[in-house]
Formats: sequence, structure tokens, C-alpha cells
Amino acid sequence: MKIIVCMKQVPVKDSLLKITDDGSWVHETDLNYEINESDHYALEEALRLKEAHSGEVVLLSMGPERVREAIKQGLAKGADRAIHIDNSSFTTQDPFVNARVLAAAIKREEFDLVLSGLQTDDYGSAQTGVILAENLGVPSATIVMEIQKQNGGIKVKRELESGWFQWVELPLPSLLTIQSGINQIRYATIKGIMMAKKKEIKALGLSELGLSESDVEEGQTGLVFSKIYVPEKTKKTEIFEGDPREVAQKLADKLKNEAKVI
Amino acid sequence: MTNNSFVKALFAGSIEQDLIFPYPKMDKEEEENLKLILDTVRQFAKDNIDPVAIDRDETIPKEVLQGLAEIGLFGMSIPEEYGGSGFSTTAYNRVFEEIGSIDGSLAVTLGAHQSIGLKALLLHGTEEQKKKYLPKLASGEWIAAFALTEPGAGSDAAGIQSLAVKDVQKGHYVLNGSKIWITNGGIADFFTVFAKTPVGESGEKKISALAVTRDMEGFSSGKEERKLGIHGSSTTELIFDNIKVPVENLIGPEGKGFKVAMEVLNSGRLGLAAGCAGGIKTLIRMSVDHAKNRKQFNTPIAEFEMIQGKITKMVVDVFVLESMVYLTTGLIDRGDIDYSIESSICKVYASEAVWNAVNEAMQIAGGIGYSKEYPYERALRDARINLIFEGTNEVLRAFIALAGMQEHGEYLKKVGKALQHPLNEMGVLTDYALHRIKKRVATERLADVHEALKNEVGKFEEYAKELHLATEKVLSKYRKQIIHREFILNRLADMTIDLYAMIAVISRVDSLLKEKGEKKTHKQLTICKTFCEEAWRRIRRNARQVDNNIDPWRKEISTDACEANGYQFDLVD
Repeated sequence: MKIIVCMKQVPVKDSLLKITDDGSWVHETDLNYEINESDHYALEEALRLKEAHSGEVVLLSMGPERVREAIKQGLAKGADRAIHIDNSSFTTQDPFVNARVLAAAIKREEFDLVLSGLQTDDYGSAQTGVILAENLGVPSATIVMEIQKQNGGIKVKRELESGWFQWVELPLPSLLTIQSGINQIRYATIKGIMMAKKKEIKALGLSELGLSESDVEEGQTGLVFSKIYVPEKTKKTEIFEGDPREVAQKLADKLKNEAKVI
Repeated sequence: MTNNSFVKALFAGSIEQDLIFPYPKMDKEEEENLKLILDTVRQFAKDNIDPVAIDRDETIPKEVLQGLAEIGLFGMSIPEEYGGSGFSTTAYNRVFEEIGSIDGSLAVTLGAHQSIGLKALLLHGTEEQKKKYLPKLASGEWIAAFALTEPGAGSDAAGIQSLAVKDVQKGHYVLNGSKIWITNGGIADFFTVFAKTPVGESGEKKISALAVTRDMEGFSSGKEERKLGIHGSSTTELIFDNIKVPVENLIGPEGKGFKVAMEVLNSGRLGLAAGCAGGIKTLIRMSVDHAKNRKQFNTPIAEFEMIQGKITKMVVDVFVLESMVYLTTGLIDRGDIDYSIESSICKVYASEAVWNAVNEAMQIAGGIGYSKEYPYERALRDARINLIFEGTNEVLRAFIALAGMQEHGEYLKKVGKALQHPLNEMGVLTDYALHRIKKRVATERLADVHEALKNEVGKFEEYAKELHLATEKVLSKYRKQIIHREFILNRLADMTIDLYAMIAVISRVDSLLKEKGEKKTHKQLTICKTFCEEAWRRIRRNARQVDNNIDPWRKEISTDACEANGYQFDLVD
């Protein structure tokens, strides 16, 4: 089974984000980066499938030079090789454009399965994975919690809302977006880390991917980022007065139906 | 006079700049790997290690040790061919620093395993011994321990009584005796045991190192000792009752065990120092967090200068400590180096710095610092052992001064002899004359150090000379009796510690200045200057007190108290 894992590097969760003056993005210089949380689980799932059914795990990551650090982490955990697309010249937040570039890289490979995290911790649009599947012309399933290999295909458990789940069957090749927390992520071992240096990291640019500048132009899909801002704080205090019995009743009602915490 | 120990050369009046400039730099690839390894260790600790539980339950959960073993932390210093990772000394100690920042019990357990427990095997084991034991120790299947201390032999390690008598026909030693305070005593399977063995025809008893395993008949370990801190680590007595230890389990030459033990401890002391550096970094994080958030008089206490002084001391101390530890490990990685004094300096400095840091962190925290609900009191209990084990700071100070003077003393002795037989010993005399002339005409100087460090370099050169002069003075005054003049040894040791610390930060900051420029090195330069300003004043005071002191009074007061069995000047008669 040949599995491609899409992995993105995002700012560390509790980073202090400073928004640029023009509101287009955050200042990146002082930030530390980490592997997107659900991508960790996608990689773990891929490694487990490989261990159970043999095959190859290929990491695919797009981003500037710094993402090589994330790639190395993935290789240290057991991925066999990696592809790095340096997008310094065409950084965009548009999932459609990003999926197009990723698809061009994946099409160069014979693959059985593409795994990605459910969504990224920076934009959280949860779009890139599914658009990527369309680009590749393969079926996809989202919010996947369990994967079982069957003859000729796979059966996966999807998370629905309100504690409901769904089992669906897919042929191979296909694409799955993986939910966080579905497995116990392994730690890189010192041996794995030291072996990672011997593994291939292939660098691909637009021309190698058969794409042109116009393919990655922003705004072509009609999606425009107008402004990023910190949510404005709204604070509302309500004070109940009167008979304690009635007040308690009111409070319980508010907590249940408005705040929805009980 | 050349010497492959920077400090020993310093005692003899020579600044061996080549040894310590430029500051050792890690190989880029190793640094990248190290970064990933540190990330893994941090993540593992965050997910799995609970220092509160380790302290309360007085044990490190098996899953934690197993998880760390799976990552590969039990075999960092073991070569790859025996199942380890073959880390450089610097990389090993840097990982060890991280472990020290997480939990004291864990650091002690892992340190006893690989900084000292299996180190003799690494240094002096035969190929067969290494093949037999190292893979198990690297994988964490077995844990190692180092067994030297006995009831009657602590600082005086040469006084051990455990006895291993060789039965040549049966091919084994018969080992009898006991050990105390053995870290990992209750959980280890492999023990490097030091025992006296009758050697040669005379049967003179000399120390030898033996590989002893728990499965050997006659081996037992006692109950867990109850300790002030490092509760999660195992400390027990070991009892050897007629254990038959195969002769092939001898580690290193028969009768040379004391040297083996000292070599092992030299490396162990660096690990301990690195672990302390990690501990101080954690304490700084805690203190800064508290000082910024705790307000008194409507002001965060971080803005009060008395609090700032404490934070500054911690930061300067750990910067100095890092500089010394990674200078020393860098020297070891370059090879062919005598680092016995240097590692003792690191141990003394580290243990005192971490003790100061827990004390100040607790003070900054105020009342909550004293509460069991907060981590300060545990940190304080855990840190205290560092001043005691792997050589008490007292015996190490004596060692630093005496070992430093030793070669110089022998040199002077040779010169003395040469004067009686001048024709036969012309070489020595010429060397000596040159040495004297050089000292008078031009003091040894540091060359090509960055201009921004001019003052610090000047002070270092000046006080390096003071150490040399003080050494000559006390050697000619006390001769052999110097070993009993501990007030003076203490001062010489403190001068040496400050000098090594000064040159380590100077070398480190010099390399930074040359690599990154003055603007980007401003913060480190300030730390370096702050330390050097304080250090040279301490050195000056110590140097002056080498012969101008109140030592006789201090001796008298202590002797009186001992004679009176305590304090004798109560207000009420």
C-alpha cells in the first residue's frame, strides 16, 4: 500500500500572534512552528497501515524552507521519503490553489491512499483535502476515525454530529481526511531521527510540477481574504434579583438554553 | 610546559589558549538531530511525566522508563554497534540537561545508569563484555548502577573493604562485602562493583572493577532508603555474599580499579552539571512567571530590584554553567584531553548554582514557595543531593587545588633535584629558566580575542597569574603539608573555579561576537561582563587571603566547639 500523507506546518498553538499592519496575515518572524495536529494523526494512521499491510509512506509538505524541520520529524517517525514543495514565491491561503499544486505533485506518484489532517490549525477551512481529491479524481471521506482494509478497497468510520458515526466503503485509490485523537501518536526515536538523514527529501518547484505562475495566482477562484483581526470582546453580565427559588430557576434555564452548558 | 588540561596548565602559569578557543561548535547535522531529539523528549515529558506523582509515589512508573527506553534514552552514549546511538559527549549532556529540567528523580536514575553505571564498560570493557551487556543496557531491558561507596568509605573511596579473591582454578573471584547509597540499587540488573583484590605475588590488596549482575548467586539489595528528595529514584544497600564473579568480568586491569572509578566519575560529574543546568532553567521559568504575575503595592514584583537581583543571578549562573559544561564536553569530543579538574569544577559550580536557584526561586514565590501544593519545595529537596553525591563539593575542592598543584609541584621537585646535579639535568633547568624569564618579562596572554572583551581578557590574564603565584607560594611554604591546609586549598579551588568560569564565558561570547557581531551578542556580552566583574573581585579576595588571613582563629573556634561538644556561650549560664 502506497500512502501519501499531506502535512502542514502551522504556528505553535499558544503563539502570541501579531497581525500585520495591512491585516493580510500575521508576522511570521518571531513564530515557532509545529506540525498541524490532525496531520500527526494522519501520519500515524499511515504508518500503522504500512506496518499492517506493508508498502510505503511518502510525506508531502508545502511551505518555505522551515517546513523541512517538520518533514524531518515525520521521516524520523518512520515515513520512507518526502516531497517538499517550496511555495515561497506563491504563498496563498486559497485552498483551491494549494490543492491544485499538491495534486500536481501527487499525480507524479502511483498511490493507493492519500491522507491529510481534517483541517489545519491556522485557517481551519477543512477544504484543501476534499478539493485535492477532486483534483486527483478519486473518492474521498472526511473526518475519518478508523480505517479497515478490505479486498480491493477500504471501509472507514466517519464522525457525524451528536455522537453519530457512519461506516462507508471506498475503492482505492482514495483520499481521507483524518480526525485528531483517533490513535496514539508515536514518538520519534533517536534511531529514527538519526536514520532520517539518509532518507530522500525531493524538492519540487512549479516548473517540475508542470504548473505556471497563472495556475497559482491568487483571487482566481473568487476567494478573497479581506482582513484578519482579533475577535472583538463582548462581555455581558446579567444580574438576577428576587426570590432565590425563582432566581435559581431562571439561572438554570439560562445555563441550559442560552449558555448550553448544562 | 604543555599540558592537555587547560586548568593544570593554568596552575603552572600557562594559558593554553588553543585548547579552548574557538569555543567548540557542534556539527550542524548533529545539532539538527539534537533539536529533534529534544522536541521528542519535551513532548514525551509533557504527555507522560508527572513529577508530583513521582515524588508522592516514590517511584518512576515503569511505563515512563519503558517509553524513554523506546525513544532510545538509555543508550545515548553507547556506540551504535552495541545498540546505542553513539552520541558525542556534548549531545549526550545536552539531552541530559533536558532530563534535568523535567524531573530530578528521573535525571538521577538515568544518570546513574549511563553517566556512571555502564561507563566503565564503555571505557575499559573487553569486546566480549561489551557485546554481552551493552545491547541490553542500551535498550533499557537492563538498568545499570555504579557501586563504590561503602559504610566506611565515602569521600575516601580508596578505603573500601569489599573483597574479591581470585580462585584461579575455578576461574572466578569470590566477592564479599557491602555497598551503601547505591542509586538504582533496587532496580538495576548490572552493577559496576569496586572491590579490593589481592594483586601479584605480594598479595597487596588493590581496587579492581567487576561486572556483577543481579542474577548472580549471593547478590542481594536492601530496602529502599528514605530520602529528603529525588524520591522516585531507587537508593539501596547492596550485599555480596560469596558471589562467584567470573574472572572475565574484570573491567580494566586488575588493581587499577581506583583509576577506573575516577575516570567514570569524571564523566558522571559533567552529566550531573548538565542536569543542574536544566533544573536552573526550569526554576528561572517558574520564577519569572511568578514575578511577572504577582503584584504587591500595585506593582508586579518583577519590577523590584531585589527580585531582579535574584533572577539575574540565576540567569548569569546558568549561562556560565552552560559555557563551562559545553566547553568541557567539546574538549572531550575533540579528544586526548585530561578533564578531571574541569569536570569537578563543573560539578561544584552546578550544584551550588542550582541550590542557590531553588533558594531564590522559593524566596521569590514567598509563602506559596513553602507550600507543598507548589513545586518549589520539591525542587529544593531534589536539588540538595547534588552538593553531596558524586564527590562532595568539599572533597572536590581539595581535589581541584591539589591536582592542579600536583604537576607543578612535581616540576618544582625536579628542578630542585636538577640543582643538585646540574650537568645531568640541563634540560629541566633551561626549561625552568625560560619559564621564569617568560613569567617576568611577559605574562602569558590571550591573543585575538574580540575587542569588546578587552577588560575581561585583561582581568583573566591578571588573575591567572595570581593563581600561579599563589600556587608557587603555598607549595614552597607548606610543601607536602599543603594537603592539610584546607582553608587555603579551598581558596585556591575557588580561584580556579572562577578562572575556568571566566575563560569559558569569554571563549563562548568571543565566538558569538565573531560569528554574529556585537549588536546581536549584546545580551550575552552583558551577562559575560556581569559575571567577570564579580568573579575577578572574588579571585582577588581569595588570592589576598592565601597568606593574609584569620585561618588560625577559625581553626581554634571549631576545635573549641568540638572539645565542648557543641556551643558553650549560652546567655544563661
